[in-house]
Amino acid sequence: MKQKLTSLLSVGALALGASLAPASAAEAVKVGVLHSLSGTMAISETSLRDVLLFAFDEINAKGGVLGKKIEPVVVDGASDWPLFAEKAKQLLEQDKVSVTFGCWTSVSRKSVLPVYEKNNGLLFYPVQYEGEEESKNVAYTAEAVNQQATPAVDYYLAEGKKKFYLLGSDYVYPQTTNLVLLEYLLSKGVKLENIGGGFRKDGSGKIISAGKYTPFGHTDYQQIIAEIKQFAASGDACVISTLNGDTNVPFFKEYAAAGLTAETCPVVSFSISEDEFRGLPAKQLVGQLGCWTYFQSIDTPANKKFVADFQAWLKKSNVPGLVKEGRVTCSPMVLSYVGVYLWKAAVEKAGSFDVDKVRAAWKSGISFNGPGGKVTTQPNMHLTKNVFIGETKADGQFKIVKSFQNVYGEPWLKGKFQAK
Amino acid sequence: MSAPTVRRYELIAVTVIALLLIVVVPLLNANGVISHFDLSRYGKYLCYALLAISVDLLWGYTGLLSLGQALFFTLGGYMHGMYLMRMIGELGQYKKPIPDFLVFLGWERLPAFWEPFASFPFAMAMVILVPGLVAYVFGYLAFRSRIKGVYFSILTQALTYAASIMFFRNNLLLGGNNGFTDFKFILGHSLADPATSRWLYIATAVAVLLAFLFCRWLSKTKFGLVQQAIRDGENRVLFSGYATAHFKLFIFVVAALLAAIGGALYTPQVGIINPGEMQADKSLEAVVWVAVGGRGTLLGPIIGAFSINYLKSWATTAFPDLWLLILGGLFVLVVLFLPGGIVSLPARLKAAWQKLAARSARKDRDSPPAPDSASAKS
Amino acid sequence: MDLLPVKPLACILFFVAACAYLVPAGAATPREIIARAVLAEDAGAKRDFIGQLMGQADPAIAPLLEAWRTDALFIFTATDGAKIPVVLTGERDEAGTQTAARIDTGAALTAANGQPLRLVVADLAAADHTSSLRRAMKAVLDLADLAASEPAKRIKAILTIGLAQDAEKLPALQARLAIEPEESVRRALRESIALAQLKDDRDAIKLAALGELKELRSLASTDFLTRSLKESEAAGKPALARAAREALRSVESHRSFVDFFGTLFRGVSLGSILLVAALGLAITFGLMRVINMAHGEMIAVGAYTTYLVQNIFGTGITIPFFGFSLPIFGLNLTGAAYQWYFIAALPLSFIAAAIVGIGLERSVIRFLYRRPLESLLATWGVSLVMQQGLRLMFGANNVQVSSPTYLSGNWLVNDIILGWNRVFVIGFAMLIVFGMWLVLTKTPLGLLIRASMQNRTMASCMGVRTERVNMLTFGLGSGLAGLAGAFLSQIGNVGPSLGQGYIIDSFMVVVVGGVGSIGGTILSAFGIGGIDQVLQQYLPYIAPGLSWVPGIGSFLQNLAQDAAVFGKILVLAGIILFLQWKPAGLFVTRSRNLED
Repeated sequence: MKQKLTSLLSVGALALGASLAPASAAEAVKVGVLHSLSGTMAISETSLRDVLLFAFDEINAKGGVLGKKIEPVVVDGASDWPLFAEKAKQLLEQDKVSVTFGCWTSVSRKSVLPVYEKNNGLLFYPVQYEGEEESKNVAYTAEAVNQQATPAVDYYLAEGKKKFYLLGSDYVYPQTTNLVLLEYLLSKGVKLENIGGGFRKDGSGKIISAGKYTPFGHTDYQQIIAEIKQFAASGDACVISTLNGDTNVPFFKEYAAAGLTAETCPVVSFSISEDEFRGLPAKQLVGQLGCWTYFQSIDTPANKKFVADFQAWLKKSNVPGLVKEGRVTCSPMVLSYVGVYLWKAAVEKAGSFDVDKVRAAWKSGISFNGPGGKVTTQPNMHLTKNVFIGETKADGQFKIVKSFQNVYGEPWLKGKFQAK
Repeated sequence: MSAPTVRRYELIAVTVIALLLIVVVPLLNANGVISHFDLSRYGKYLCYALLAISVDLLWGYTGLLSLGQALFFTLGGYMHGMYLMRMIGELGQYKKPIPDFLVFLGWERLPAFWEPFASFPFAMAMVILVPGLVAYVFGYLAFRSRIKGVYFSILTQALTYAASIMFFRNNLLLGGNNGFTDFKFILGHSLADPATSRWLYIATAVAVLLAFLFCRWLSKTKFGLVQQAIRDGENRVLFSGYATAHFKLFIFVVAALLAAIGGALYTPQVGIINPGEMQADKSLEAVVWVAVGGRGTLLGPIIGAFSINYLKSWATTAFPDLWLLILGGLFVLVVLFLPGGIVSLPARLKAAWQKLAARSARKDRDSPPAPDSASAKS
Repeated sequence: MDLLPVKPLACILFFVAACAYLVPAGAATPREIIARAVLAEDAGAKRDFIGQLMGQADPAIAPLLEAWRTDALFIFTATDGAKIPVVLTGERDEAGTQTAARIDTGAALTAANGQPLRLVVADLAAADHTSSLRRAMKAVLDLADLAASEPAKRIKAILTIGLAQDAEKLPALQARLAIEPEESVRRALRESIALAQLKDDRDAIKLAALGELKELRSLASTDFLTRSLKESEAAGKPALARAAREALRSVESHRSFVDFFGTLFRGVSLGSILLVAALGLAITFGLMRVINMAHGEMIAVGAYTTYLVQNIFGTGITIPFFGFSLPIFGLNLTGAAYQWYFIAALPLSFIAAAIVGIGLERSVIRFLYRRPLESLLATWGVSLVMQQGLRLMFGANNVQVSSPTYLSGNWLVNDIILGWNRVFVIGFAMLIVFGMWLVLTKTPLGLLIRASMQNRTMASCMGVRTERVNMLTFGLGSGLAGLAGAFLSQIGNVGPSLGQGYIIDSFMVVVVGGVGSIGGTILSAFGIGGIDQVLQQYLPYIAPGLSWVPGIGSFLQNLAQDAAVFGKILVLAGIILFLQWKPAGLFVTRSRNLED
């Protein structure tokens, strides 16, 4: 056992050494990649590392950035939030990277944020998040709540839905999103009694939180499904789900078992992309909705080329631990990819790797035609991009049923929507 | 090795290590030899060392395997974190005088229980009181009904689990799963200033030294002897007329306080405290440090906390896929083949050497390794 | 019903006549409408076109809409760029081509020269549809479904019409009611008619409808009743308001009935799951006193075995492991034969987990029988290794385990949902308990197990090969965990950390039940499951009552709103307190040994 492990380790070391052989220092620019490659979040974040390495290779093949080759420094946050802060320090203070692409969960971003502000670094953050944050040291390529949740509500309203059930995992992103959605629904004339999931009030009776919440790793959705079934009994109801990762499986299995379908009461989930879909019971999800700024099924030459190139790269790449079979592309991956190109464009516009100059270039408004269409940087460090609503299909892809062009990314949404 | 020799060796070792950690490392940092990054990493390891000592005090010395020490560690961290949050002042995202997450939850004024945390002494008192109280109540209930052995372990795990679910909630008004972060000042000094982090590091190193000395002193007193007797045969102690429940309760509270102090020092150095720190896995990880370092000794936990975390920092960069295999495998091997941990290695090697020497004389083929005398029956 | 002025037969005649009237001569035929709907750009326009089909009796409608819904309706782009909606007809030839029929005329699709065109499915774009469009189609089909042969289909159709409160379709419903033999369908018809009549202008009819809904205790009518109540109050019609209030009250009392028995069922079902998950532990921990922290991973092994069996019945699978890949060929079964995979997976998951368990016992645990705390730690290490091993073999993602048809469905008894998967789990939990009881009490192995567990040394002295018995007992416990995994794959997710979600709960069940007592484990599993569900269901009701608690009143109130979270915390706190009262659990295994 011991011997086997040692031999494995040495094989791994060799492979790693071979793949990360640094380019000569003068022509290379160091770029950090900070994602969880082990632990619970590895499921999602490993894909982002892969697409980043793909983007670097693509750029390097075309001569790099400002004539310098990109040299990635990949570190593992191990789904451990203080470790994220430590690794961020390592990237900024030891490796002196020009930019970092990383983080998935909000808490990991919150954990590294002080480090980036202290060292004036630049972090590209690619995953849908709750907003209410705007740091000059973070480029949010991620979907803001108004680039995901509110378009989904618009779609539902256009479909004639009258009752909305809010359901989420018990943490900051769902609670924030649902609070914004509550305000948004009320501003659209939806009555309070038609918003399901329950409310919490403070001492003075003001609603401070809306929706139904379950703990992480919850497996028993019987009672909630029974409640949704009663809620949806009078028709025209829908569910807005911010459940995260694993809990979606028991939820959807129970949902289907109770005889609820996309036609009687559709569910839009903000945490299920093509990548997560691989582990979900596809048959039971057919017709349910997703809302992202990219779907693999987008039918444009740019996207088809991106998907094909990524698959080709996967085949020939020798990154250790790379899963090559059955890979898909999804919104967080594309936003990571787009982030790399936007950074390149900003650097080239600024003519320097200096963070302040790159930021100024970003704020001046740079556009890039990515796989999901055109994206444009905004002065508030977010992105203007297209939003798509898709219906899930049995093969794990989404069929796009509605798109919104050039939606402005707005992080500060609370209190923005007022009931008439 | 005779006892006095051991003691002398130990004294020398402790003095050397203490000097190294408290004086040499910060000096090297001030001169730029050791980077700030490395210093803050060592600071974090030292906080973990406090947690490890707390686990060892219970497990190694009293035979109580608590899987809830991370809870007390985190509670300490939260109490200090509340002070640090208050010190942010109006520099948060919303530029309001109350913490950001409260603004978001619709609060306009500070909730009453947040008020006094602007005072550092109050916060420090809470670092001691809150975890101490939780430990006292839980310990009182557990030991009164004579819950021991694995039941105690499982119950502490349940306690931690329940607490972590609780802290995940936004409505607890403690920042939900994001916890506290983005600290700016401590006692008027900017946390971004390298000198501040150096002093924090020194404070941690001193705390570890004090904890070490305290535990060492405790283990030599009559109290410490009773404590170890409880580990080795609780019923005999009970029948000898000692109220073992009181002893256990006292040591449980002391251990909780050590962990809490570790947590309180941890928060400003790492820059974040959140409920992820109190999950059952973290407690078990701390147990691994102790087991690998050598339980029932005082140096063992410190060595374990340092070495495993160093290994983790390295492995998560070099072999992210294999990290859990290494940790898990290492743990199994240590439990099976090295119950005394790293600190027992020299004695073991010596024994093995003597055995090897003796083997030439008599054909004594491998009998299973007897449990090390340092490791106790649990 | 007596109030209705029209006789059934006349009603049908009226309905048919109305339909005929609705289609004026020269207007588009249903086929043409569908063709237009397919080509319309805007989703709203598509819906409007489909809406025009409502009530039309053309037999072509149903198959065409069905084809559209199932992606079998295509848009063919002719050489001149014109888009023609088509369906494929006729046999597929060797090149995969088929003849096609135009939607708008039903005639065969021909090229310019009049020759029939042959098309390939893969070259065509399926006409798209959204859920709202499908709903519109469904409404059209529902009307046709009123005469469907299966009662379930009829009920669905009837309720859809009722919930839309479509007064135009009332005659059709009433006509159906006159001839409907099935009691459950009649109920649905009465419900739908009453719902639709709530929109009537005449107070008498409304009043009758309210009375009907009161009698039917229809859960679906809550929103309509509330609206009706508000309307009548606003319009100053006390009689109507009273009737609406009474109807609401009756519906509410029915709802509490449903909630109560629903909770009961859910409690039993959750209890069964806890029981199945904990039974293995009851043996390894309860009988052998081995703290197996890798118990959760044994469950995962069972779940992954189910996944493997599913793939072997299907198209096969390739497992990557440290750079090697192990291809496993599939049987390529389909249909009913494929559905049997789950039955085959049950014994296999038991065997797989038992083998892993025996391996674990031989390699690690047998050295630690005298050191229970250390067995806890070593098995935790093993659990980390196993989790990562599963991750390396099957990927970090969850894997898909589909439910066989006989486990995906439900019975609706008096508005209480009884999912088949849940009923199955309950039944199987009982079967396993019975089986275990048989093994432990009626077989020689059981005798040996009990003897060794009661006093290992003594049993050994009597000639029992305790080493072997230990191994088999641990194997049995692990196998049961594997069996649990097979079940949990039907209810939850299958991923590398699957076991972590159940380990704490399982330990709680065993500790509360009393270590060493299988009966206690059963009782505590159902107790914890039941309490959890009761708390989830009823905590929100008591939430307002918590506001009196000084200082933390509103906090408690909000916490109680989140019943799923708070319920869990309360159960854990309850267990800690329970152990104050009974430190050794529900059932104490009596022993004269001081250390026990």
